[in-house]
Amino acid sequence: MSRAESGPAGLYHRVVVYVLFVILLLPLAGTLLYSLSTSWSASLLPSGLTFKWYLALWSEPRFLAAFGQSLLVCVGALVLSVLLILPLLFVVHYHFPRLDALMNILILLPFAVPPVVSSVGLLQLYGSGPMAMVGTPWILIGCYFTVALPFMYRAITNNLQAINLRDLMDAAQLLGANTWQAAFLVVLPNLRKGLMVALLLSFSFLFGEFVFANLLVGTRYETLQVYLNNMRNSSGHFNSALVISYFLFVLVLTWAANRLNKDKT
Amino acid sequence: MSFVSIQNLQKSYGASAVFNDINCEIGRGEFVTLLGPSGCGKSTLLRCIAGLTAVDSGRILLDGQDLVPQSPQKRGIGMVFQSYALFPNMSVEQNVAFGLRMQKIKGQDSRPRVLEALRMVELQDFASRYPHQLSGGQCQRVALARSLVTRPRVLLLDEPLSALDARIRKHLREQIRQIQRELGLTTIFVTHDQEEALTMSDRIFLMNQGRIVQSGDAESLYTAPVDAFAAGFIGNYNLLDAQSASRLLQRTVNSRLAIRPEAIALSLEGEREGLVRSHSLLGNVIRYRIEARGVELVVDVLNRSAADLHADGERVSLSIDPTALCEVA
Repeated sequence: MSRAESGPAGLYHRVVVYVLFVILLLPLAGTLLYSLSTSWSASLLPSGLTFKWYLALWSEPRFLAAFGQSLLVCVGALVLSVLLILPLLFVVHYHFPRLDALMNILILLPFAVPPVVSSVGLLQLYGSGPMAMVGTPWILIGCYFTVALPFMYRAITNNLQAINLRDLMDAAQLLGANTWQAAFLVVLPNLRKGLMVALLLSFSFLFGEFVFANLLVGTRYETLQVYLNNMRNSSGHFNSALVISYFLFVLVLTWAANRLNKDKT
Repeated sequence: MSFVSIQNLQKSYGASAVFNDINCEIGRGEFVTLLGPSGCGKSTLLRCIAGLTAVDSGRILLDGQDLVPQSPQKRGIGMVFQSYALFPNMSVEQNVAFGLRMQKIKGQDSRPRVLEALRMVELQDFASRYPHQLSGGQCQRVALARSLVTRPRVLLLDEPLSALDARIRKHLREQIRQIQRELGLTTIFVTHDQEEALTMSDRIFLMNQGRIVQSGDAESLYTAPVDAFAAGFIGNYNLLDAQSASRLLQRTVNSRLAIRPEAIALSLEGEREGLVRSHSLLGNVIRYRIEARGVELVVDVLNRSAADLHADGERVSLSIDPTALCEVA
């Protein structure tokens, strides 16, 4: 038994952990119960349980379209990120390690400018003219790419530093591999963990993103969060079912990614 | 004719020169060591031979063929790194087979060679393990097998034992030397550890500040250092300026002298010109600090028995083997 599990200190530690869990899970449990109740207004407990809100939600074409569109924008942004950031990281860490300091400043920029401010800038830049993209998913994909950049860059950088990229590349080349073979056979498989963490973090963040989606695209290409916002005046039970569905989707995705990411033994 | 010939090799990063005008010749099947302190350019020289770092000028001839224009893949050189550089996503067998896979040598031809390389490093039972399931010493043996399996023309070892503990280091250094002799493999070993260099090498190139300051076999390097740096780096030499040396030996000496600590014998007979300042036990050797005629000396004496021990403050006589006196620049 570890030190933290025994004695009065152990009890205190356990209480702190359980209280934290309760605080985190209570709103979720309330929402879940509300989404399963027939009605719940003037009583302590719901008057009955039903799946009708979920059935209504998952047979609602507008919701399914918003869900699919959210998925498409997120996956599009993440594919773009992987295609651009992986080679960039490789070049920075293998050929120009000094650029890492500059990159660390650049990747903070999406956080330094508030989303509302950058939205206004993007609306001006891409609202008209040859690059008019406002109201299309393309602007969201581009915008989400910049949002995902810090998560992707940091997580993969940590992974690259842990595997000692330079020695692995050198060893592979001395064994006869060219740069591409070394990158694909040796480096890339060892970045799986960092890449999965980066993708999961970015996906969870982007899938729930509202400000950019609402300001840049709005109802012209309705994403899940914009749909939720637009449905705010409809039934609370229906919206709760939406929130729980969204939460479960991200949960299942995280669990599946973790399973795939397990170490070989 | 030498097998590896390095001629007028130069390398600098910007204005700072890593090494300047390096020349050395290495015979076929020879085990040579590049020995020197950190930053002396020995690892960079090794990387230049491997083709991992570009040289500014000069030639590296391998069996008469200039390697400088060739890529690392084409040089036929194997290398073992201090960090092992094993591929974490591959099993031991896959790691060792990697070089053969790159040469398009398929399963039934490659497997016996892989198993033979693993047998050489006594890891044939670990073929299905992954690097994270191995100890440091085992990882380094896999790295050695991986570089041997492609039958390189020259094997480069870049401080391969530095990250290992003393016992494993000793075992592995014997194993490396044995395999090298078995295969007759021309090997260049880089280390900053003089004991490793002295025990393993046919010849040693002692480097300092980007220059080879002395080369030769272990015996000549240890007994006849050419300058104060060599004397200080190779052994625990007592370095005396001409004035101190004259005073100690009571005759005129015109140059600096280096005296090995074990070349001075202590006894209780005679003049007793020395005073034991302190002593420390290094296992089989007792190291004394002696002051004699105003000169501080380090003296190593074989630890035969407790009765021979000289206490601090005791007066002793010194006799110095005249053949062990080295004049150094």
